[in-house]
Amino acid sequence: MASQLVSISSTLLYAAFILYLVAMLPLATSIKSKSNKPAKIAITMVVIGFILQISYFILRWIAQGHAPVSNMYEFITMFAIMIIAGYLITYFYFKTRLLGLFALPVSMLLMAYGSMFSREVEPLIPALQSNWLAIHVITVTLAYGILSMSAVAGLIYLLKAVPSDEKSWRARFLEAIMAGIIIVITFIATTVLMQNVIGYQDDFLYQDKQGQNQIAEYHLPSLINFEGAVPVEHVGENNYEEADHFHSGVNLPPLIDSQKLNTVLWSFLLGLIVYGIIRLILRKRIIAVLKPWSNKADLNLMDEIGYRSVIIGFPIFALGGIFFASIWAQIAWSRFWGWDPKETWAFITFMFYTVFLHLRLNRGYEGEKSAWLAIIGFLLILFNLIAINLLVAGLHSYA
Amino acid sequence: MELKEMKCESCGHINPPGTQLCQSCGKMIDSDYDQNKIKDLMRYDGSAIRSKTKPKSIFDKIWIFFTSVRVGVSIILAITVAAAIGTIFPQEYYIPIGVDPGEHYQENYGTLGYLYYSLGFHNLYSSWWFLILNGLLALSIIAASIDRGIPLFKSLKNQRVKKHDSFFRRQRLFLNTERPANTDSLIDAFSKKRYKVRKDGNSYLLEKGRLSRYGPYINHIGLILLLFGSMLRFFPGMYVDELIYLNEGETEEIPTTQGQYYIKNERFVIDTYEKEDGEVFQQALSEGSDLVSNFQTDITFYENNSADIVGSSPDLEEIDEYSIRVNHPFSFGSYELYQSSYDNSQLKAMTFRVEDASGNTIGDNFTINLDDPDSQFAVSEDISVNMRAYSPDFLEVADNGTLVSATPVPTNPAFVFEVTNGQESELSLLQIMNSTDITENNEYNIRFVGAEEHIATVLTVKKDHTIPFIATGFIIFLIGLSVGSYINHRRIWIKADDDFMLAAHTNKNYFGMKREINEVLESNGLEAVNDKLDDEDKNKE
Ligand code: HEM
Repeated sequence: MASQLVSISSTLLYAAFILYLVAMLPLATSIKSKSNKPAKIAITMVVIGFILQISYFILRWIAQGHAPVSNMYEFITMFAIMIIAGYLITYFYFKTRLLGLFALPVSMLLMAYGSMFSREVEPLIPALQSNWLAIHVITVTLAYGILSMSAVAGLIYLLKAVPSDEKSWRARFLEAIMAGIIIVITFIATTVLMQNVIGYQDDFLYQDKQGQNQIAEYHLPSLINFEGAVPVEHVGENNYEEADHFHSGVNLPPLIDSQKLNTVLWSFLLGLIVYGIIRLILRKRIIAVLKPWSNKADLNLMDEIGYRSVIIGFPIFALGGIFFASIWAQIAWSRFWGWDPKETWAFITFMFYTVFLHLRLNRGYEGEKSAWLAIIGFLLILFNLIAINLLVAGLHSYA
Repeated sequence: MELKEMKCESCGHINPPGTQLCQSCGKMIDSDYDQNKIKDLMRYDGSAIRSKTKPKSIFDKIWIFFTSVRVGVSIILAITVAAAIGTIFPQEYYIPIGVDPGEHYQENYGTLGYLYYSLGFHNLYSSWWFLILNGLLALSIIAASIDRGIPLFKSLKNQRVKKHDSFFRRQRLFLNTERPANTDSLIDAFSKKRYKVRKDGNSYLLEKGRLSRYGPYINHIGLILLLFGSMLRFFPGMYVDELIYLNEGETEEIPTTQGQYYIKNERFVIDTYEKEDGEVFQQALSEGSDLVSNFQTDITFYENNSADIVGSSPDLEEIDEYSIRVNHPFSFGSYELYQSSYDNSQLKAMTFRVEDASGNTIGDNFTINLDDPDSQFAVSEDISVNMRAYSPDFLEVADNGTLVSATPVPTNPAFVFEVTNGQESELSLLQIMNSTDITENNEYNIRFVGAEEHIATVLTVKKDHTIPFIATGFIIFLIGLSVGSYINHRRIWIKADDDFMLAAHTNKNYFGMKREINEVLESNGLEAVNDKLDDEDKNKE
């Protein structure tokens, strides 16, 4: 029964993804069209998609008995949902469709990325068994969703304001962001292809930092491996036999997770190749292709959205990410603040948005500079949500 | 230029030195402010901001330094970057207890790690320079808030209704048109939108949400309280953070309570998830290692009735029973007890058997309670074992034949046993994994059968009197933040002479204000307001 609920909830999420993908069409049409109809269709679809996502959330909560915010898959999915929430809030206030044209893909990318992690339903470890888990994570991701609108508005601002063929750092940085997105897409596509479609798997036996035997499952050919890793094959139960797998010969000490690094390296290599091919076909920068879409943007409105989403999202972040977090840390770990990496990066995010708000008090920090800052803020959020969880094994690491 | 009071040429109002917009009528009376430093004259309503006047004395210069938003932002950035550096390698409190930190960083993170350690970055958040940066932040917040907050408060409090024409034209939202037939219905429509109306002749001032302007100052006060509160930890008695190590069944005094409170560990439990806990978790649970669902110490809490009497033995009265679990601390007075960890590395008892030369077991096994060992064990009717020496944590055999122990904790026990059958006796030394005959040609061997471990709970004893200050500070911060962010201060000035003028100002969200005003104007048959920002753009294009 409960297992069925889980699979129904996953299906709903999948349906929402498809719906957003389809909604891109009327959304794109609505920007150039004189009629109001495409916009209405698009927003209706987004609202339905959002309801589907909320249903995923509720069903999964019922099925597993705790809020689905306890592992990487659930987090990233939650963030993707909140980006839609952020967009809908912005839409009902400012009636901007253009923002959706960029916000929707960001959300979809995150949904796809989140599904790369284990989607299994897992029971909670003692530290996470608290109502504060749901309260804390839901407020933080809501804040992230709203703050992200600032970055989306910033991106649109920059696409319009920066001449796409300019030989300048700002144009190159903007193009680099596009290349980064291509790399993420390539990563998702190769992982799905190699892991789920082809089923490529090379196991290696290695010793971790504590000197314990571990098995690394490589789903991509090994370019980088652990020091002293032995290629092995799984032969039932807990038994492995020595085998012959491809390996480049590059080995790193166990301090670095070579397996993840291998995936990152492949994503960059393949992503850059894909990017190169796209450039060869287009014969211009990607930002030049996107530019016509951003030309409809009202720069003042984008700047206003950029500021207002921070001013609205920041207090929610302070409440959920610092205040609720401290209350829970006091109850669970006996100290409300312990400078563990995750806490520290929440603090850094908080301070960064403080800087954002104070710089805007000064002359000359509106518009373009503010847009860049908003984008940096979004990268910080991603770093917080993804990199910290994967890189450091602190109290907060769930992956 | 001498600092002197300024008389407005237009209305004659005397303004404090440094004022930019006459505090009475709003006419620009001093254009000699630093235009690079101030973006929007209306942010502080054109009042005299000490730091925005040109510096004269050395005090002015220091003041201006700390009030400057650029300096404030630099301090915030410095703290942020420092915080990030602190996450490159683990801080000292996350490395294993007891190891030499220098070696640890060198060994695990190489030369960079050693450099990190040498620079003191392994204790970054409690380093003197990190604390100083926070002190500078506090100074900067205080200076900036006084500098701007007081003049802003005065100027908002003493607002006049009538404004000079130039004041109208300076506002971002401005309308100059023919006078409508019915001004009253226009004003009425605004007051329905919860604007407070003030009238002076044919001039009106409509205002709402003034509290919003004080938001940043409220939130800065909260931050100061928070920073102050976090310094309190360094005062004695404000903060207790201790560990209690308790074996099952043990009772001990709770540290720092002067012998007034005692706690007994009745039972320590580790639960793991079972298949029955939910069919949904089946896949997760079938993969290898056990997943812990609960750490719990069942305690009895005692008060010592003879705590005041010096030298008396404790007279314990049971006060409470509780199950301490993660996320469910036990509290008493201003203390809290938390489940921190557990330890099952200490041996509780060891069991042995006696074997004859041909490997046959003789009689019964015997068990030694390591905390309080007996010295004699009857194995069978005629064979008995005497324990001649015992060392809980064996180091070496001393010259006089006794056993030397490294610590009193039974982690590596060693024994000298004497096996006798009434007439003869033999001696042997037993250690973990090793046994040596002391007498020659021993007939009997003593063999290790099994060991039992203690399971000890580790509880954190915590008292933190800084929490009320820090929590209050943060709540004030959040209130100020919400007030400043979610309320907008909106003002509309109207002059309904032959020439109708309307100007509007808000601290946030011109988009929303424009919409609100235009709605009212439209329903009164007036045209929409002009937005200077839109006009600027049109001129550019
Ligand atoms: C962690 C430290 C700080 C936090 C969290 C903080 C927070 C804030 C917030 C949320 C606002 C409102 C911004 C807006 O409405 O756009 C604000 C305004 C302001 N802050 Fe801070 N602040 C901090 C430190 C400082 C420092 C060090 C200075 C010193 C220069 C400063 C000076 C100001 C000023 C001048 C304003 C504008 C006040 C007004 O509009 O009337 N703040 N602050």
